Amino acid sequence: MGKSQAVKYAYIVARVRAMRGKLIPKEMYPKFLNMDIPEITRFIGESEYKKEVDELGKKYRGTDLFEHALNQNLALTYRKLIEVSQNEANYIITEYLRYWDVWNIKTILRGKFSGASEEEILEDVVSAGQLRYRDLLELVKIASVEGVIAALSKTPYYPALFGYKGVLADIENNLDKLYYANLIKAGESSKDRFFLKFLRTEIDLKNLKILFRMKSAGMEREDILKLLIPGGIELKEADLGRLAALPFPEFVRALEEYSYWKAIAGISNDLTSLINIETQLDKYGLVNITRISYYYPLSILPVLDYIVSKKLEVDNLRIIVRGKETKLPEDTIKAHLVM
Amino acid sequence: MVDPSVVDPAIVAANAKGIIAIGAGIAVGLCGIGAGMGEQAIGAAAVGAMAEDEKFFGKGLLMTVIPESIAIFGLVVALILLFVF
Repeated sequence: MGKSQAVKYAYIVARVRAMRGKLIPKEMYPKFLNMDIPEITRFIGESEYKKEVDELGKKYRGTDLFEHALNQNLALTYRKLIEVSQNEANYIITEYLRYWDVWNIKTILRGKFSGASEEEILEDVVSAGQLRYRDLLELVKIASVEGVIAALSKTPYYPALFGYKGVLADIENNLDKLYYANLIKAGESSKDRFFLKFLRTEIDLKNLKILFRMKSAGMEREDILKLLIPGGIELKEADLGRLAALPFPEFVRALEEYSYWKAIAGISNDLTSLINIETQLDKYGLVNITRISYYYPLSILPVLDYIVSKKLEVDNLRIIVRGKETKLPEDTIKAHLVM
Repeated sequence: MVDPSVVDPAIVAANAKGIIAIGAGIAVGLCGIGAGMGEQAIGAAAVGAMAEDEKFFGKGLLMTVIPESIAIFGLVVALILLFVF
């Protein structure tokens, strides 16, 4: 790593490391499980989420307040990362956070497809990408799926949305593929090998999740292949084709050849629950990025580590509160937490 | 007539002093540049950490001035050159 590389990342890395130090420590999650929702909201209201909880407290109550405060905080935190970074780091962060544009477009399209109200759709949008909250507000006001797609015609996402024929799943897959294809292109043009490695591992983990879901649903090889995202580091196209064709027990056994087996080896006796598998894969992803971010401390990796950790923190808090609200047993909630 | 092969000792002494002064200058100058290069990344990181949490001010300041020791080495060498030789 050259001198200039170290200087380029020193500022943003020190900043995200300080931000990471303010995340909720994982020892807190078991304590949350013993608290009631008002207690958790109070705790959150005194932490990094204070500003959002105070601001939205007039408008929402209970779990709605919680949900909105978490989403807003996540969006503002990610936007801050874009604002305080420069040059190459800024480019990579901006491209990576387009994930939220894809997320918001999917949310709005799903909402419109199922006839959800504007308020319900806005509950789930996180304006952390390039589409600002006011753009999303405009999109939510449009009545039909076709109208939303037409409104997005000037965005880079239009090629994925363009062939909409009434099946939402198709354009959602296209959006995911477009997002990752653009991201790989961005990684290759910036020549950041750390970013590319992280990205390709993320694609592998995503493909594994898709494979597990589709395999347990008994889908055919051709249908599964349509959903998989090309560009993984270990699971190349030939591997994916082979894995997609195997029946579930053989598919699980075939995974032993890959390094991802480590992630699910602990639960290999009980692979009936998809939740367990996905939690383990998410955990693997988190541990992986945290580990490599310490190997290369002055690179984009610590920033990506923070982005992943922050998202998981918000997800965990949401799981706890939603689980408590629906009175799920503690063990079930715990099984969903990624920490 | 003055023999050109005989050099005036006063000129030799003056030349030597001049070369020592140049050496001292190089020692201080290069060390300053080196310290600056070291502080560049540390200073940026310290400001980044401080922007998030003011508590890092003390630690940040301490870390930033550590490469200054190189500049002091340069200064010491320069002083030795100037006053010992």
